[in-house]
Amino acid sequence: MDTLQTSLDGLMIGSTYALIGIGFALVFGIMRRINLAFGACLLFGAALAIYLEPWLGWGVWGLFLVTMVGAALASAYVERLCFAPHTKRTQSMTAMIASFAIWMQLDEISSQMLPQRTHAYHGLEMPTFWLGEISVRGDQLLHFCMALVSIMLLYVLLYKTHLGLLIRATADNPETAYLLGVRVPWLGFIIFLVAGILGGVGAFMILSADGYVTPMFGMWSTFKGLLAMILGGLGSLPGAVIGGLILGVVETHAGATLGAEYRDMVTFGLVFLVLIIRPGGLMGVKIYRTESLAQERI
Amino acid sequence: MHGICKSFGGIEVLSDISLTLQPGERIGITGANGVGKSTLINIATGFLTPDHGWIQLNDLMLTNCPAWEFAREGIRRTFQSSRFLQTATLEEQLFQAGHTPEYRNRLADLLHDSSLQSSLHLFPDEISLPVLRKAEVVRGLAAQPEILFLDEPSAGLTADELHQFGTFLNQKLGGQTALVVVEHRLDFMVMITDTVMEMKLNQELQVRAD
Amino acid sequence: MDPYLASVLTNMTLIAFLAISAYLVLVVGEVSFGQQAFFGIGAYLTASVTVLADGHVIWALLTAVVGGAAGTLVLGLLTIRLSGLYFAISTLCFAELLRFSLLHIRFTQIIDGRKLGPDGPEGFSNIRWIFDNHYDVTDFLLLSATCLTVLLLLLFGLARSRLMLRARMVGNDPILAQSQGLNPTRYRLGFIALSGAVAGFGGGLFALFNTHIEPAMFGVMLGVHALTYSIIGGLGSPIGPLIGVVLDIGLLESIRQLAAYRMIVFGGLVALFLVFRPEGIISHRLVARLKRQWGSRHV
Repeated sequence: MDTLQTSLDGLMIGSTYALIGIGFALVFGIMRRINLAFGACLLFGAALAIYLEPWLGWGVWGLFLVTMVGAALASAYVERLCFAPHTKRTQSMTAMIASFAIWMQLDEISSQMLPQRTHAYHGLEMPTFWLGEISVRGDQLLHFCMALVSIMLLYVLLYKTHLGLLIRATADNPETAYLLGVRVPWLGFIIFLVAGILGGVGAFMILSADGYVTPMFGMWSTFKGLLAMILGGLGSLPGAVIGGLILGVVETHAGATLGAEYRDMVTFGLVFLVLIIRPGGLMGVKIYRTESLAQERI
Repeated sequence: MHGICKSFGGIEVLSDISLTLQPGERIGITGANGVGKSTLINIATGFLTPDHGWIQLNDLMLTNCPAWEFAREGIRRTFQSSRFLQTATLEEQLFQAGHTPEYRNRLADLLHDSSLQSSLHLFPDEISLPVLRKAEVVRGLAAQPEILFLDEPSAGLTADELHQFGTFLNQKLGGQTALVVVEHRLDFMVMITDTVMEMKLNQELQVRAD
Repeated sequence: MDPYLASVLTNMTLIAFLAISAYLVLVVGEVSFGQQAFFGIGAYLTASVTVLADGHVIWALLTAVVGGAAGTLVLGLLTIRLSGLYFAISTLCFAELLRFSLLHIRFTQIIDGRKLGPDGPEGFSNIRWIFDNHYDVTDFLLLSATCLTVLLLLLFGLARSRLMLRARMVGNDPILAQSQGLNPTRYRLGFIALSGAVAGFGGGLFALFNTHIEPAMFGVMLGVHALTYSIIGGLGSPIGPLIGVVLDIGLLESIRQLAAYRMIVFGGLVALFLVFRPEGIISHRLVARLKRQWGSRHV
């Protein structure tokens, strides 16, 4: 029973990792870039929400909205400054380096808005459900549903809309798509916006479940998202979801059996192993191969 | 090389290609676009590994070796886009490959050409393409290679420049170095090679009668 | 000298070691987010040798150098097939793994009635070398500045050599490098190991200066900062990273009004730099042009 409980808890938290992981996977899968400022964008959204709370006073849903919008705005800012100017294939590292400079910047801005170590981030007051001996927190269940809805909406966007088709075509083969006249001029901008929105939802889920936010949230969520994406396979969206869930479950089990200190170590160790043994992760092998071959083209 | 086959994603680009070179032999390889000339050069210089077949240099089997070993053993090449480090002068780059007095002398001899001399202190993006192509050849020859492969050297050159380049090549090539030119300008190839072979899709190399 | 100023300058020299470490990896065309871990290893090794083994400081620093190089070599060998973004992330994971390991190392001994040694998250306190040897802040500044100068001189020598040009070729265009008979892996591993040695040494000095070290000090942010200094300062010369350090810690820190918003300004500055001058302040072209002018004036 304990295993089941732990696994269930792991799935709950894993769903938030999945959303953040999708944020990274969207950018890598479609643009072959890693946005290291992503976690900081989420922190910015949360910090903005807390900062504006006295004025807006909308309660929990206000926090949700502002977090999401703030994260999306920050994400768009990062895209314009760090990614839009470096679009050539050879400039993926430059873009990444610019993004971690902005990571530092957004972290600092958020710290200015959160002068104390910890700030309360209100969650929903909800009952806890019991199924036999298994307990599920009401708010976490709601969050899980929110994550599910978000992922379904993303699916609809990508697979049922014309824009989504263009996005997928560009992701699959940028050069050919361009030659075929697929022009999504604001593609990068849109991708980052979507990633920011999804990440914002994820951030809200974690922070309201925990009940507080600290300035460390930026780095923490960057790690979690990256790790989720790598486990599932860099660039693969379903991979990011699966990676996030696996990460959540493995992490929670490691924490339960080995103790909280070893939990993070297990996570990093797992990801490192994945990188050196099977860099494509679970589902990103094709992308890894294309990337490697592209570098060797003469 | 013998029996070389190479496929990419299910499409067989090279099928059973064989080629033998004698020391100092000069051949040209021509063919339509897409017939596999680049693949052939890449395999012959170690940048790609064939699916089947082997590559042998004198007594050495090189088939699965990395490209740098090919270069070490004396197989040198030029690139279609004349690869140079953009942030170092021509002089620095040419002289980095060796430090022995013999190397320096060889290089000095090879550089005995006014256009190259005057460009030595410039960066590659300040140098005109014909001069860069010559520099690439000098770079390759300074290593005293067994075989030098030229990858579409005529690209971007006018007829005059090409002719000049051909003269330059004939001047600088030593007797021992074999030359393989992958090209589609026949006049140029005839100028610098003894035999011209033609590549067709999925066929062996055949000598052109003309 | 004013102790505060000396302290700031010393910190700059110590961070410079880390920035140079990042630079050495950038030379061979890779980005490492993990150099801070080797800085930390150097710190712990030096502390252990001077405190637990009562060793001479030379041995302590030598151990740090070897330890740093060994650590990076392990990383380099494990990630031998990785490059670009994949490699960068793996360095981040590796560094955090090392840091977590440090969190769990407890090896304390009672010496002279005091509990000494690495104590997990509490860190390693009472690294009393500077007190026992009567070094005040200014003395230590002299020591670390001298070491840094020696390193820079060595690197300047290296920078003018063929070895460096070949390494740059490997970093810039591996295909070109291979066509010249250069084995990219060998250069990669060599420079990565060198970067670890430099980071380890800097960490050793850091431990001696700080007298107290703990794993939290060697987190990702430290490495990210060092990397940024290298990039803004420019890769054209080993002095580039130092320029980056001076720019951030020196300039921005000293402007009181900016001090609180230092990272906001610096972060934005880096991003803008990468848009307009991605090579950094001291770019290769600048250096080569200066050399050219210098050469022609002496003809």
